[in-house]
Amino acid sequence: MKIGFIGLGGMGRPMVEHLLTAGHQVTVWSRRADAADPLLALGAQRSANPGELAAASDVVCTNVTGNADVVGLAGMMLEGLAPNGIHVDFSTIAPSVARDIAARYAACGRHFVDAPVSGGTAGARAATLSIMWGGKPEFAARLEPIFRCLGKTIVRVGEAGAGQVAKACNQLVMVAAIEASAEAARLAKAAGVDFAKVRAAMLGGSAGSRVLDFFGGKMAEREFAAGVEARLHHKDFVMVMAEATRMGVPLPVSGAVMQQLDALMAAGWGTQDTSRLLCVLEKTTANPSTI
Amino acid sequence: MNIGFIGLGLMGRPMALHLARAGHNLHLWARRPASLEPFTEVNAKVHASPAELAKHVEIVFTMVADAPDVQAVTLGENGIAAGASRGLIVVDMSTINPNAAREIGVALAERGIEFVDAPVSGGETGAINAALTIMAGGKPEVFETVRPLFEKMGKSVTLVGDSGAGQVAKACNQILTGVGVAAVAEAFNFATQSGVDAARVREALLGGFAYSRILENHGQRMLDRNFKPGFKAWMHQKDLRIVMEEAHRLGLMLPAAAATAQLFNAIVGSGMGEDDSIAALKLLEKISKPE
Repeated sequence: MKIGFIGLGGMGRPMVEHLLTAGHQVTVWSRRADAADPLLALGAQRSANPGELAAASDVVCTNVTGNADVVGLAGMMLEGLAPNGIHVDFSTIAPSVARDIAARYAACGRHFVDAPVSGGTAGARAATLSIMWGGKPEFAARLEPIFRCLGKTIVRVGEAGAGQVAKACNQLVMVAAIEASAEAARLAKAAGVDFAKVRAAMLGGSAGSRVLDFFGGKMAEREFAAGVEARLHHKDFVMVMAEATRMGVPLPVSGAVMQQLDALMAAGWGTQDTSRLLCVLEKTTANPSTI
Repeated sequence: MNIGFIGLGLMGRPMALHLARAGHNLHLWARRPASLEPFTEVNAKVHASPAELAKHVEIVFTMVADAPDVQAVTLGENGIAAGASRGLIVVDMSTINPNAAREIGVALAERGIEFVDAPVSGGETGAINAALTIMAGGKPEVFETVRPLFEKMGKSVTLVGDSGAGQVAKACNQILTGVGVAAVAEAFNFATQSGVDAARVREALLGGFAYSRILENHGQRMLDRNFKPGFKAWMHQKDLRIVMEEAHRLGLMLPAAAATAQLFNAIVGSGMGEDDSIAALKLLEKISKPE
């Protein structure tokens, strides 16, 4: 299949590598030309601009940061894409924005699928991502071969925007669990107990979770280098809270977690790991011996 | 009238002095003899225990820190109940858990002792100026007996309802003042972080719907950066703990109070518990700073 791919960051690059390995013909474009170079060496083609990339592809994929990036790229590619072509967006954006873009594509006889992913850069490298997508069921035949190169758990959640709704839920559950792990770590330490042991004990019980394992482990080690940068979780939360407010849906725990993420950003830890939420809690202690 | 007073701290001392100046015979007991020094000038008799004190008075006021202290001086060893004759009136002006107040009331009633919970608002200034707001719970006829004495200490005296009702009113008062102080601190920090003069914001807001006594008085002290306690942050933390305990007992959701309670935890945890509640501003400033 002829696939276009835009967004060659920590997530996008390994995804393109998997597509190439599977024998797909991949065309790439990036704002910074050097981002594409390692992929050209593996057989990818370079396009001069998003419009040209769309014209050369059956399916175009994007994996960028925010609403505005996806809207901008959709505007540039809509014209170039062949009738019945599909734009698959792997980015995490607002469900309402995904729905709007899908409507614009549909009005022109093209298609848009929101397919956000969970699993981080490690999942992208290992091709074990969870892919949650929203779009017409008949797209599955064309998209499954692509999705299978990238992820393990592939779920069509519903119509356009449904993938983003699933991703929003994913982020709420995950980051709240990171905050809960941080609060547990803070409480254990303040009470003079080794959190590494507490974590080990909890992992076998009802509180055991992948977040407690992974992020809790980073907290116990005080290893705050980013897997996924905290600023991206912050961005996702800003988006989710705006959607919740638009719909009048109360999210009290998420509202509190949002505040902790704001404090993390204010501290200047946005490019580090979200396990820094522990340090946000530590900022409000007068007794350094309990840190 | 022979009146007992136990709890001669920041609040209790001026309150008891107002009663003495009104011509009543004061009977005192204090854990620390130093608390008794201001009373050498007035007509006051010191007793060896609350039980001993209770033998000489018709009404005894308590103004102590928390429920266990009230429990101890009323029902504990050598407590008021141990020396009281039937018909004695115990008036507790401390801020404690409403349910604890009800239970103490019931236990005293079994011994023929009347109980009124009558917490106050207005802080040390209110106590010195006899301008306290007094919110009482108990039997109307008992309240009417005490009312002339309340009027020597406060300006606004209200029987809110049955036993415990005064403490419920005080809990409501602490929700409003706690959330209010937090809101003004957030607004001022928001203004400052946005590059706008918080003093001008306060001035503009005083004329509008956001006017409150807290915006006016606490707001001014925030601008003056005068963190000397009128009302200490750790006491507000304690009062919000009482509020949340009651909420948990009732299975009642208090999201704004819960968030504010956590803010006060952070203030006390940061070593600012002895400052005034307006240290909320300092805490928010600290969290807003880059690391």
